[in-house]
Amino acid sequence: MNNAALIGNPNTGKTSLFNTLTSSYEYVGNWAGVTVEKKVGRLRGKTGHLTDLPGIYTLHPLSRDEGIAAEYLATESPSVLVNIVDASNLERNLYLTLQLLEYGKPVIVGLNMIDVAKASGLQVDPEKLAARLGVPVLPLIARTGKGSKELLRLIEHRQSDAVEAPHFTIYYGEAIERAIDDISRELAAGWEEGRPALRWLALQVLEDNPAVIASLPPQTNQYKLQDIRARAEAKLAANGAASSAEAYIRSVRLERIREICNEAVDASQKKPHTMTEHIDRIVTHPILGIPLFMAFMFLTFQLTFDWLGNPLSDLLDGFMTGPLTSGVESLLIGIGASGFTHALIIDGIIGGVGGVLVFIPQIFIMFLIISFIEDSGYMARITVMMDKLMEIVGLNGKALIPFILGFGCNVPAIMASRSIEQPKERMLTMLLIPLMSCSARLPVYALFAGIFFAESQGLIVFSLYMLGIVLALGLAKVFSLFLFKNERSFFMVELPPYRMPQSVTLFRSTWEKGKGFLRKAGTFILGGSVLIWLLTYLGPGGVADNMDDSFLAAIGGLFSSVLQPLGFGTWQSGAALITGFMAKEVVVSTMNIIYHVPDMAGLQGQIAASFTGLQAYSFMAFVLLYTPCLATVGVLRKETASWKWTFFSIAYSLSLAYLVSLLIYQVGLQLGF
Amino acid sequence: MSSCQSCLLGLKPGTSCAITQIGNMDPILKRRLADLGIREGTRVVVKRYCLWGGPITLECAGQLLGIRQKEAAHIEVAVS
Repeated sequence: MNNAALIGNPNTGKTSLFNTLTSSYEYVGNWAGVTVEKKVGRLRGKTGHLTDLPGIYTLHPLSRDEGIAAEYLATESPSVLVNIVDASNLERNLYLTLQLLEYGKPVIVGLNMIDVAKASGLQVDPEKLAARLGVPVLPLIARTGKGSKELLRLIEHRQSDAVEAPHFTIYYGEAIERAIDDISRELAAGWEEGRPALRWLALQVLEDNPAVIASLPPQTNQYKLQDIRARAEAKLAANGAASSAEAYIRSVRLERIREICNEAVDASQKKPHTMTEHIDRIVTHPILGIPLFMAFMFLTFQLTFDWLGNPLSDLLDGFMTGPLTSGVESLLIGIGASGFTHALIIDGIIGGVGGVLVFIPQIFIMFLIISFIEDSGYMARITVMMDKLMEIVGLNGKALIPFILGFGCNVPAIMASRSIEQPKERMLTMLLIPLMSCSARLPVYALFAGIFFAESQGLIVFSLYMLGIVLALGLAKVFSLFLFKNERSFFMVELPPYRMPQSVTLFRSTWEKGKGFLRKAGTFILGGSVLIWLLTYLGPGGVADNMDDSFLAAIGGLFSSVLQPLGFGTWQSGAALITGFMAKEVVVSTMNIIYHVPDMAGLQGQIAASFTGLQAYSFMAFVLLYTPCLATVGVLRKETASWKWTFFSIAYSLSLAYLVSLLIYQVGLQLGF
Repeated sequence: MSSCQSCLLGLKPGTSCAITQIGNMDPILKRRLADLGIREGTRVVVKRYCLWGGPITLECAGQLLGIRQKEAAHIEVAVS
């Protein structure tokens, strides 16, 4: 099977291109480290597969996501490498290109962002570049899809003709060349057809690339290889060159890159990114920067709830409880459905699933704003502004990216922490992400805040999000003091130029996130609603006449005494919280089914009668903090590769939720709320 | 905290300089900086400082990046 791979520096548009070339959709954004996994798609035209890899600067991996790309090259055998380079930053990007040219497989260079390069006064000549590199170079604008048809044709062509590997070699000087020959001879025995070129393997061994060394066959004599490297380094040192083979090889490559750029790039008209400069002057202002960020967040909640989300949600609710329910009811009567079926569909499914679906507007608005932040380039700025605070608590500014993504959904957020270099900071970030209030908790807030704090919903919800963030920072400090030994920490982030997000990308990205929610509504929430309804319908004595005699009441009742001090010691709350482990939206479904009433206004009345404002706030805080949902637990287990840390995450969040809700309720009572 | 004589840290925003030496810092960070083209001989411009000792923003060949001040304190430069 033909198999092409997309490789390039971070944030050069590989995934945008992948989406165009394969007609699939993977997640894109404007910061370094959006793609943290290997993704495989079928090429348009069905001529083969395309693999999208996380961005790397060199083949030497420094973080988990980079390791994936390096391992892929070392262990798999793609038939053609598609190297995407950022034309506006060619010198840096070519370093990887040179390493790929040594790999021994056909290479196509996609010269992306030529529009950006042109706007900043850089003229890159693709023909000269192609001549110097000895491989085809194709100008592209991945965001708009310009050049992608030609690229697709080139990939197909390359694959069908079994084109030879590029004839590109760099002469590294006598000492290194000798070492390359020696290592190649060592590795030749275990080498198979289709593997990367021996010269490439030898160079990577000399550069001490852990991913490549780990991929060598087990019978390889590692001591011999180290010995060859040591001898080469001694020779270099004797000649007065750099002491490590790695540094020396790097300097030779950089020299070659400078030559290439002198010929292919005309930087005489170069001018600074004026738009980025202007925006940065305001949004990353030393004093105004953080307040502006907070104001932006607050506006987000105002828009999500008070200004736009709630009015839309009310319209949707009106439709569901009105025309939809009565339509289904008359249909059920028409086909002569039994009382059981009638109750299951109206009370269980429409009540449970519909009760969550009415919050679609709020959830989608939130997703839209998150997509905007992701695509604009603002994300990386936030990490810089907040790094000092994060450093104090034992984290790193980069942790803010997974945290912000966590407001959408905790699962991709935990994956995103792969781009954090230090293992300790990555682990801490993953453990704390569940405290970021994801969109699944939003229906709970929308329901309760809508009843008890109708005047200031945005503010109340904002306070819950802030509660999660403040607790996460506090716990980061505690955990890093007591659970981890002190590792050296550093922070470095690239600040990409700002881009106005394109509306197509923005809606696409919002829709992809929203799809996850809708899929959950059709699976977990639907299944959960049916199950919950059955549990309320049946009881130990058969069909329960009164819901208080049902199985659900019995199960929920087990916890009511424990929850009593928190202000919601009813079987109803207990039952809603248990079922909420499946997905936190199910808390709302359960409430809808339990307090079964014909419409939203009725439900609100019921809940208003069962809770006080203080109890409602305590309940919301509990839902925010208690145990990560099933899907999050699954991904935590996978990414931490440890049950111990996974259970730790559940245990600490449950205790934290209990303590915080207890404090809120008891202190609130004392204060007379 | 500055451990170098002519230090990147402390330069006024807008100052352009050439890196003469990258001193003691985490080897991973050193490699990262090299990946981005920041090494001995590179020209950088100091863009801005964050409040309360937060990171410093640098520009190098049109590329913006942020590093912590304690690391910037290990970078020696020649102002020109």
